[in-house]
Amino acid sequence: MRNKRCKTEKLDDLEGLQGSTSQGLIEEKLEVSLNKDTCSHPGSFGQMCILCGQRVDDESSVTFGYIHKGLRLGNDEIVRLRSTDMKNLLRHKKLYLVLDLDHTLLNSTQLNHLTAEEEYLKGQSDSLQDVSKGSLFMLEFMQMMTKLRPFVRTFLKEASEMFEMYIYTMGDRPYALEMAKLLDPKKEYFNGRVISRDDGTQKHQKGLDVVLGQDSAVVILDDTENAWTKHKDNLILMERYHFFASSCRQFGFDCKSLSQLKSDESEPDGALASILKILRQIHHIFFDELDSDLASRDVRQVLKTVRKEVLKNCKIVFSRVFPTKFQPENHLLWKMAEQLGATCSTETDSSVTHIVSMDAGTEKSRWAVKENKFLVHPRWIEAANFFWQKQPEENFPVSQTKNQ
Amino acid sequence: MFFHIVLERNMQLHPRHFGRNLRENLVSKLMKDVEGTCSGRHGFVVAITGIENVGKGLIRDGTGFVTFPVKYQCVVFRPFKGEILEAAVTMVNKMGFFAEAGPVQIFVSNHLIPDDMEFQSGDMPNYTTSDGSVKIQKDSEVRLKIIGTRVDATEIFCIGTIKDDFLGVINDPTTA
Repeated sequence: MRNKRCKTEKLDDLEGLQGSTSQGLIEEKLEVSLNKDTCSHPGSFGQMCILCGQRVDDESSVTFGYIHKGLRLGNDEIVRLRSTDMKNLLRHKKLYLVLDLDHTLLNSTQLNHLTAEEEYLKGQSDSLQDVSKGSLFMLEFMQMMTKLRPFVRTFLKEASEMFEMYIYTMGDRPYALEMAKLLDPKKEYFNGRVISRDDGTQKHQKGLDVVLGQDSAVVILDDTENAWTKHKDNLILMERYHFFASSCRQFGFDCKSLSQLKSDESEPDGALASILKILRQIHHIFFDELDSDLASRDVRQVLKTVRKEVLKNCKIVFSRVFPTKFQPENHLLWKMAEQLGATCSTETDSSVTHIVSMDAGTEKSRWAVKENKFLVHPRWIEAANFFWQKQPEENFPVSQTKNQ
Repeated sequence: MFFHIVLERNMQLHPRHFGRNLRENLVSKLMKDVEGTCSGRHGFVVAITGIENVGKGLIRDGTGFVTFPVKYQCVVFRPFKGEILEAAVTMVNKMGFFAEAGPVQIFVSNHLIPDDMEFQSGDMPNYTTSDGSVKIQKDSEVRLKIIGTRVDATEIFCIGTIKDDFLGVINDPTTA
């Protein structure tokens, strides 16, 4: 692109063309003065107003590079589009769903990061001719290997009936498009709604400003909470999918990856399957259970209520989880438990149902055993947070730490 | 609009191309360099139709390259404001639709689509009239009016409208 431009500029120089630009400027000035008061310039395409065709300065507007590289829209136009689109969407009983790629729908690694134990994958990769059936792909031209998360095809198919779906990834544009091809070979789910980091308005942040949907109808699925600081209420946090060893290393886990163990996430009980159930529930509540006016409903409220059901009727006391001088109410786990509908307390009494502890030897832990209360590891809360479902307590035992 | 015009260009040729095929080499290089490019003044060079004249070559000091001034006839395409064009729709979304007429990319905003046509999402997004008789979707052919142009070094952008008499779909791929 750059080269080509240089070439044509040189071409112009060599031909000795002159006067073309200055002539254009005069024409424009005339046009501007004629139409000045009539057009509000709602947006621009190739630096021309999309309504009247004049040249416009478009510094204040938002770029929609993922739709077309020359397209920008002003704030008023975005608001207008969102509200008309919202009506349209609600009529079809749909909401918006923004999906992250890496660690949420799939896991990718560079070919040269594969460990010796993973070399066998190269022989197992599926053909790129018909991607709709495979789940492990070797993209040699990008030097990458990609594994789709189990259940993702069913997930996309069923979710597309309830949601208008976007991909929003921190990867670059070519990568995002390539992944979209793998996930959606027939282009029936995303249809150009693929947003990459090149299209975002803020560095290292994802924002809903480039998503043409009203915030009150957007559900986000992502594994990184920090990327969505402004839209935490819309977010369903996903358990990270680590298939390749390099991905485990990247996040500092020192365990064997799924690929090294030659296993994978369970298809019927994996993270995507359980999230799909939650999405169905949210969709059902939003459209069938709320009795307020459709336009005034807010999916964020629905998310909150559904989340509050998870650990309902649990009263939790923490033991040796927070540092001594830490205000317990400010701790992440405390807040998480409360968002999940549990009551948290610092004192034990008969109404307490769960003791969350790192160490079975503390006074409160022993009390739990004596009083026949559940004694669980903090991971029990985290798991409930990922799966949106109370987990069996016996899977999260607390081990006795050695006495010093 | 298409124009048949004469343009001139200085071509640099490597000495290895000299010999009895010099002229042929010069022409094929010219085609490779010029066809498909865009100039702000003339628009898009579609095809070279003939060579008017090849001037005297001038040896470049130091390199041995020779510069020939070549005059050539070519067909150029440049859209103008107010021009009516026929274009193929490439993408339809809630903001409007994009269409192409050869190398020219045209955007028609939904402000400039007749008010009785409404956007329908789905796997084949389209704009449809309430009675369903007219439908604009990908690969439809439309007749539109250019209301703004911008000719870049490599690309031509246009803003179009179909909100006027005798504009709109001229060929629907679903009925064809």
